[in-house]
Amino acid sequence: MSVLAKTSCCALFVILGLTSVGLTTLAVASDPSQEAGIAYFEKHIRPLLAQHCYQCHSQRADKSEGGLLLDRRVGWMQGGDRGPSIELDDPQGDLQVSLLIRAVRYEDPELEMPPTRKLPPSDIAHLEHWVRMGAPAPDDDSLNLAEMTTDPSDPVLGKSHWAYMPLAEREPLPLNEIEWPRTVLDQWILAGLEAQGLEPSPAAAPRDLVRRVYFQLTGLPPTFQQVDVFLGKCHATNIDQAMEELVDQLLASPRFGQRWGRHWLDLARYADSNGLDENFLFREAWRYRNWVIDSVNADLSYDRFLLEQVAGDLLPYESVQQRDRQRIAAGFLVVGPKVLLGNDEKNQRMEVADEQIDTIGRALLGQTLGCARCHNHKFDPFPTADYYALAGVFASTRVMEMRHMLGQQRLMERLVGLGEQGKDVDDAYEAYWREQPNLKSKTEKAASVLKAINENNTAALGKLRESQAEAFAERLRDATTRESLSIEDQVAAQEAWVRELTSALAHPPAIPPRAMIPSDVDEPADECVRIAGQFDDLGGKVPRGFLTVLQDAEGSEIPIDQSGRVELGQWLTDREGRAGQLAARVMVNRIWHHLMGSGIVRTVDNFGRTGESPSHPELLDHLARKFIDSDWSVKALVREIVLSRTFMQSSQYHAGNYATDPDNRSLWRSNRRRLDPESIRDAMLAVAGQMDWTPMDSSVAYLGDQATAVGANKVRRRTDMPCRSVYLPVIRNDLPELFAIFDFADPHTTTGARPNTTVPAQGLFMLNDPMVMQTAESTATRILAEVQTDDLAAKAARLFELVFNVTASDIHSDQDEQQAMQVFLAQTEERLKSEGQENAELSALTMAAQALFASSRFSILE
Amino acid sequence: MACHLFSTPTTRRTMLRNSACGFGQVALSALLAGGSHASPDSADTAMTIPGPHFPARYKRIIFLFMWGGPSHVDLFDPKPQLNKSDGQPLPPAAVGSNRKSMGNVLGSPFRFAQHGEGGVWISELFPHLARQSDRLCVIRSMHTEGSAHGEALLRLHTGQANLVRPSVGAWVSYGLGSENENLPAYITISPPRGHGGVQNYGNAFLPAIHQGTAIGSAETPIAQAKLSHINNPRFDLATQRSQLDLIQTLNRKHLNDVKYDPNIEGLIANYELAFRMQSTIPQIMSLEDESPETHALYGIGQEPTDNFGRQCLLARKFAESGVRYIQVSTDYTWDHHKELQSGMVTESAKVDRPMAGLLVDLARRGLLDDTLVLWGAEFGRTPTVENGDGRNHHPQGFTMWMAGGGVQGGLTYGATDEFGYRPVENPVHMHDLHATLLYGLGLDHKRLTYRHAGRDFRLTDVAGNIVKDLWT
Repeated sequence: MSVLAKTSCCALFVILGLTSVGLTTLAVASDPSQEAGIAYFEKHIRPLLAQHCYQCHSQRADKSEGGLLLDRRVGWMQGGDRGPSIELDDPQGDLQVSLLIRAVRYEDPELEMPPTRKLPPSDIAHLEHWVRMGAPAPDDDSLNLAEMTTDPSDPVLGKSHWAYMPLAEREPLPLNEIEWPRTVLDQWILAGLEAQGLEPSPAAAPRDLVRRVYFQLTGLPPTFQQVDVFLGKCHATNIDQAMEELVDQLLASPRFGQRWGRHWLDLARYADSNGLDENFLFREAWRYRNWVIDSVNADLSYDRFLLEQVAGDLLPYESVQQRDRQRIAAGFLVVGPKVLLGNDEKNQRMEVADEQIDTIGRALLGQTLGCARCHNHKFDPFPTADYYALAGVFASTRVMEMRHMLGQQRLMERLVGLGEQGKDVDDAYEAYWREQPNLKSKTEKAASVLKAINENNTAALGKLRESQAEAFAERLRDATTRESLSIEDQVAAQEAWVRELTSALAHPPAIPPRAMIPSDVDEPADECVRIAGQFDDLGGKVPRGFLTVLQDAEGSEIPIDQSGRVELGQWLTDREGRAGQLAARVMVNRIWHHLMGSGIVRTVDNFGRTGESPSHPELLDHLARKFIDSDWSVKALVREIVLSRTFMQSSQYHAGNYATDPDNRSLWRSNRRRLDPESIRDAMLAVAGQMDWTPMDSSVAYLGDQATAVGANKVRRRTDMPCRSVYLPVIRNDLPELFAIFDFADPHTTTGARPNTTVPAQGLFMLNDPMVMQTAESTATRILAEVQTDDLAAKAARLFELVFNVTASDIHSDQDEQQAMQVFLAQTEERLKSEGQENAELSALTMAAQALFASSRFSILE
Repeated sequence: MACHLFSTPTTRRTMLRNSACGFGQVALSALLAGGSHASPDSADTAMTIPGPHFPARYKRIIFLFMWGGPSHVDLFDPKPQLNKSDGQPLPPAAVGSNRKSMGNVLGSPFRFAQHGEGGVWISELFPHLARQSDRLCVIRSMHTEGSAHGEALLRLHTGQANLVRPSVGAWVSYGLGSENENLPAYITISPPRGHGGVQNYGNAFLPAIHQGTAIGSAETPIAQAKLSHINNPRFDLATQRSQLDLIQTLNRKHLNDVKYDPNIEGLIANYELAFRMQSTIPQIMSLEDESPETHALYGIGQEPTDNFGRQCLLARKFAESGVRYIQVSTDYTWDHHKELQSGMVTESAKVDRPMAGLLVDLARRGLLDDTLVLWGAEFGRTPTVENGDGRNHHPQGFTMWMAGGGVQGGLTYGATDEFGYRPVENPVHMHDLHATLLYGLGLDHKRLTYRHAGRDFRLTDVAGNIVKDLWT
């Protein structure tokens, strides 16, 4: 018998999955004593077999190590290679005749099962007792049936998983400390803390708080003046009042959308290029990016926000502007990466649908639906049929088409002209490139005719006229056909014609305003299950639809001539439906994650059985309900959270609390966090006074059709525009270095929680990157202009004000820093002077500014 | 508050062994001299990191990663039965499968021969490597899970696919620290950006200093890759050092104010490392000091071997400099779903001479005894045909090889069935490989644990058998 059984983590999850759905029995038994035996089996034996044995000895696992199956009576009665596992004829009465018992007793070194670890004595006792009872079990047919009903992908049983349950509203438990909570949110947090014997941290210092709020809501530091205003208000009224005013002001700022829109773009795997095999430029993706920013700023209700992204091209509209806006929103479906070349068309359709299902599953519902493509989901209640019901919707949606683009015809993202005349202009553009090869040859021919006339070469002309009769006939101004004209006139007429053609060739029409927009295919259809995910291995046809486990009653019918995306969008946002409530939970958790530093469910993209359970399930449901009731207002939820006592806590370390809850799951303090790359860059530009605040359209228009500089293509994405970082090019496989080093989201895929690394490359970046040095120099220049004295202390103080937004005296017992800064300035200036450098003062101050940018106080948010 | 980790006399070696940050902590302790700090975890950490558990057989690992999954039955595991059954359905029973249909068998288009005294079988695709066959310990009985690249890559690199776990190199860095204070303990040359990307060299919950430092990426020729931002365009190192002192003063003060924060600690350690790397890395990455003979040995300066040759030579230089774990990756070029024959000819030619050169070079410098070279991929390929002339992914059975580090040269370990489908003798699971890699470094995979979220984690989870038979 092989002893090479492995308990991988994956297998552990299978077990967890099994136990969490409950090992329901459908045993059929009439004899009461038999019934008791079967009940014993179901209660004690099957769970332990499932947990410890089925990995290697069951049909489900496709494994029968040593020829032994333990998922059926015939399995253990007949046994494996060593013979029967259970011998009911036991003269000694010590059960040593039964291999199964000997194996679990670990008495025979050759036969120790399970191989990884001896079973607990209670389990062994249960097995012994069961064998003594005569090893009762349901007969094999019902056993198999039972196995099927406990399939983790069973959508009916799956409804009991917490994430799929309807929202519950519960009253918080009575609290000891009644002064602290400001809202129900705080009550739940405090209840959790008190249950663990923890206390919340005191409120953060106003200076830390104002910096925290500015960065969280706008991705930018407050200016020194803004800090002052806030502190003044705290003083004049109180911190709650000051916070309310500040938060409302920031929520109304367009900079809110520039930050929070980016959070969504992480989920939407937004990019300006295709990535994967052919990194073609998504020239028009920026319109979707700006739609997201605008929608967040307008606080477009989240249900509408989703509906438009899933089905914006199919929704009714009252104006061309509205039509275009909604269409652009649906670009969400188009910006995914696609394998463009060498792919079978049918396969490609399924690949694209898969990418959309995966994105929608994880981003909107926190579900790993992609797993059900090749087999029933191993952990979550998604049978393959559900996957292909959705696949029918997306395979009935077109996101790519053959187009002419800059001289070549290729498969590309579907583009639609915008504006009143959009279609005509786009058609004309397409027509130009379609005809361009003709135009080219026409020009060449006309030129050769001109040459022949010029040379007065009748023979050549005659030949040309013969060989190119068509071209000759077509030409309106074919002067050579009017032989009555003088040769000069013939030449002049032909020259004009050649000029006209050459000019048309040299001046292709400008790329018209277009956007990446999906559409339904001409004949929407249901899809067949693909066996093992193979596109060409067809199983049964599945009607288009959504996820059974999240279906409440009869789903709405999908019209036969439509893809079903409108119905999908409605289902996803039905406030009384399971799907809508799950979508609300997922979004609430994301907002919490961004504001608090980690989610109530830390696996923000996975609310399935392999994801983490919520630390505060009642709070999650409470906020989700509130979110829905506020007409899905993201801003209202952000406001609610930011104004809570929980958010406003200090991030100070506390040894006692830390010992109990080092991960801060119960939120006994605020999580200290490193800034994301956008905030680092934007803050430096803002401090340096270099930021161009104008929202940007395309930041990739200068790129050719290939977005990545490869081979002959030398044009590479730029990162030197002083715009807010959200507008920088997001070229898949060629992210701006700052982004790549500081854990930007991988734009190939939905990213709800960015990684958080601390690596030497980040240090090297801050020490040596030209952009960092340049912003440092601008900061230094700014200081030299503002502080017109030689007083080092004044310069140092101003530097602290600008970079940390606080006066140096506010930094706790700041003398060391102040002192160190002044010494550095003096010594560096002297050193550079002695080396004969010009502008030693500026250089020294530049290095000092850079040092502050590089310091932990700049990049780590209290 | 005194930090007990540093307040008692302790040798540098124990500190490296016991600290959560490896040598980074050494730099940190120097920085913290005067100002003190305590890591609340350090007491646990010291107890749960036992450091080297037994005498090491080697000090470092170079992993040559063939991204995509080369076909074992066309390189190291000859199966005459494949050619006999070419075009016939693969009988499920013969490979112990319950599935009805397995597809048709594809014979190998390549000739195999036995090489050296050990008689190791290598196909005609690797003529240079074949001459080093007596250095190779070929494991033909590898198996793993994950039939898609992403999952299989993550299992290969981290032991897990569905959860974020530290990579092998990160565990090694954590367990042993670096031998060179100026270099990270874990360097990955041209790592894949896809199929898990950074997760494949990530540190997960281990302290960030253990993350692999990436040089270039798989898509970029290594000659053009450099560690970005490795020098300052305006200021010399001495001036920069004084600037860094200022930065670290501010950081230490910050850390002191907040009492404990692993991110700030990591930041401080990283700046020191970054600064030292500025002088060390360019020196190592310049291959100009190497003789023309060495360049030729690796196939540098000629095609198609130039790129992989440079990567391998770079790996040797890092090994020489004391880096613990070095990974070299090919581009995503070994995924031969079709045109297997031409594809494998092309890809083999790129790596054959450089790999052989690396072994020769390590040996003649006396480095091969304490360096383990590991070759392999996320999985092998099916005995059956795909798209007429290709093979599909195959995690159930495949080949990896080792050289150096005291493993038995000329050894063929384990065997697959007659179709090369799954191991039938001495199976070695990915977890077993990981356990064995750590064992050779003197680390017990069951004792190399890290406490996180309330429990001790280890590279091999609850599995892993050490394959001691690879050594005499």
